[in-house]
Amino acid sequence: MSTSTTTRTVLRAEGFSCPSCVAKIEKQVGHLKGVENVKVHFASARIEINYDAERISADDLVAAVAKAGYKAVPSTF
Amino acid sequence: MNRLQKWVYGNWSVPIVSGMLIILSFAIQWLAGGVADLTVSPQWWLEAGAHATHAGAVFTLGDGFMLAAAVVAGYGIVAKAVRALIANVIGIDLLVSVAAIGAVIIGNFWEAAAVTFLFAIGHALEAATLNKTRSALAELVAVAPDSAIVVRNGEQQEIPAGQVRMGEIVLVKNGAKVPVDGQVVSGTGAIDEASITGEAIPVEKIKGSQVFAGTVSRGGFLQVLATGIGADTTLARIVHRVEEAQDAKAKTQAFIDRFSRWYTPAVMVLALVAGLISGDVVLALTLLVIGCPGALVISIPVAIVAGIGRAARNGILIKGGEFLETSARISAVAVDKTGTLTEGRPQLTDIVLLDSALDRTEVLRWAAAAEAGSEHPLARPILETAQADGVGPHGIPGTVTPVPGKGIVSDVDGRQVLIGNPPLLEQYNVPDDGSAAQAAKALAADGKTPMIVAVDDKVIGVVAVADQIRQDAPEMVARLHQAGVEKVVMLTGDTRLVAEAIGTATGIDEIHASLLPEDKLDAVVQLQQEGHIIAMVGDGVNDAPALATANIGVAMGAAGSAVAVETADIALMGDNLLKLPEAIGLAKRTVSVMRQNIAIALITVVLLLAGIFAGGVTMSIGMLVHEASVLVVIANAMRLLRNAQGSTEMPKRERTTEKGAKQVTA
Repeated sequence: MSTSTTTRTVLRAEGFSCPSCVAKIEKQVGHLKGVENVKVHFASARIEINYDAERISADDLVAAVAKAGYKAVPSTF
Repeated sequence: MNRLQKWVYGNWSVPIVSGMLIILSFAIQWLAGGVADLTVSPQWWLEAGAHATHAGAVFTLGDGFMLAAAVVAGYGIVAKAVRALIANVIGIDLLVSVAAIGAVIIGNFWEAAAVTFLFAIGHALEAATLNKTRSALAELVAVAPDSAIVVRNGEQQEIPAGQVRMGEIVLVKNGAKVPVDGQVVSGTGAIDEASITGEAIPVEKIKGSQVFAGTVSRGGFLQVLATGIGADTTLARIVHRVEEAQDAKAKTQAFIDRFSRWYTPAVMVLALVAGLISGDVVLALTLLVIGCPGALVISIPVAIVAGIGRAARNGILIKGGEFLETSARISAVAVDKTGTLTEGRPQLTDIVLLDSALDRTEVLRWAAAAEAGSEHPLARPILETAQADGVGPHGIPGTVTPVPGKGIVSDVDGRQVLIGNPPLLEQYNVPDDGSAAQAAKALAADGKTPMIVAVDDKVIGVVAVADQIRQDAPEMVARLHQAGVEKVVMLTGDTRLVAEAIGTATGIDEIHASLLPEDKLDAVVQLQQEGHIIAMVGDGVNDAPALATANIGVAMGAAGSAVAVETADIALMGDNLLKLPEAIGLAKRTVSVMRQNIAIALITVVLLLAGIFAGGVTMSIGMLVHEASVLVVIANAMRLLRNAQGSTEMPKRERTTEKGAKQVTA
């Protein structure tokens, strides 16, 4: 198990309107190859993702969140 | 403009189209006596029994439009429900989907269309308004600087703020955002620190001053040495703290979460059982609709997000919902005297000579020499005055041994110098004929802090320093009382006389003086035993145990201290005393909004349930009331985003210059 390329990123999302969004996004993003874990915070509308940067890019993550129906932008800090 | 279009077509297109189809359907059915309402096909739905809403036994053009409206509005809901089911989540979308599909199966096209249409429109409104409750955080994130001007290879270059390297020099021109946390190395300027401290008045910056990323220059020109960039800036720490605080579950919220986990499946079971027993499909479907837990599950998070967000915009960081709940019950506030009630920059006011062989300058010289290696705040005024009078200490300071609560013992050129109170003299067996104690007493009666100076077992004099009362200290105490705090207590290591002079001037209720650090802790515990929920305000190391023991630990002027931002239950970013009563008031308002919201949600469900069994509440009315309750809950929370009277926050336009500037160039 190599964690050398594990990257942690935070996406700030828009349009979270009910706590059931959380599980939906966690499933949708969690299924992606290269994503190690994902945690969605409902109140602050944040999505924390640990992923393998060699297998998947931040843009792919944003796209996956969009597929679940939410707009998200990677945060700078 | 572009964003507006996207918003309209994104969130609102579904309810708009669906609504138009509903109108069209009614028009066809009613206009010209239904002439245009052509028959399309014979009845294909199941008989609903007593509650059937469908008039005829044929499927008409009007029905077709109504069905289309339901499909348009319901498609997204069903898709979401399926996605949620795949993720093992039984959510509100599923309840609505089952209800709508059920309504179609029994031919209640109007009900299906109404339920899905109302749900879609409610949802679009919820999304928009919920984002509003998060607006405070969004503003904080938006404050983050995007570009920086650095000097590289002797040239000014504009680069993204995240690419500034630690230790680089950045230039801050008039009107620009400070791109990094750093220290001014040259130049002067005025910086608007509203985004960090919530203070409206720009702060003068000179060489050596600290500046924060995300603050705005209002004049002057600064060269700043970068000491913190990107995620390592005060602004980033604030944003993270606010986010964590908003996500931290209050006790009440944890209960609601557990409750809603089994609530939704329970509603489905209840609807099924009710349907089977009564044989009334419509009743079962209606139960599904009104059992939606919407208002209940968001009632607390929206209040917390809005309350904590509002506080952050005013330079008040609250650790989370649980601390909000505790803060709302604060009945006593303990404040450290120095730096909170007073300026914390004591000045030397008196030098009393008690040894006729010396002169006053000698007393000052010995005192300064003894204090040279001391860290104590009272050392500074003595040293400053001595330096100004040309009798400042030279060379390397001797060893200084602090005696907590009593003073210091210092070794100066092989001679033992004591500076402190009468108990210190007693401890070191220094004789006093009473004159030192008397002089000290007289000075203390004026609210000054006397320090007896003794050299080699002989008292030579007394020096006194006094601290200025902060201008807004009396106002803070008054506002704390207004915010419902019963007792404001002063804890200080100073003598009772000094403490009383300050206490009388500020309106403090109770004074605990001459305290050692551990005594402060005991004072806090004692107040807790009296049944008080106590907030302790402090800044110094010697307050740490008391801060940890108090129900709420409050740090003042936390912007400059990463540790304070991370650890305090409530961190007041600026140094404005009036933020403290404001924080308590805001906590109280937030908690009452939480309670109101839970009440609204529960009462709605109970009323609807009663309405169903009493008859009269149909699926569409149920959905209307339910969606309305969700919006009321959100609107109620949004009241927190408005500033209460007496708030310390600056006018909004002050901090949206950036957006304005962008619009001009777009």
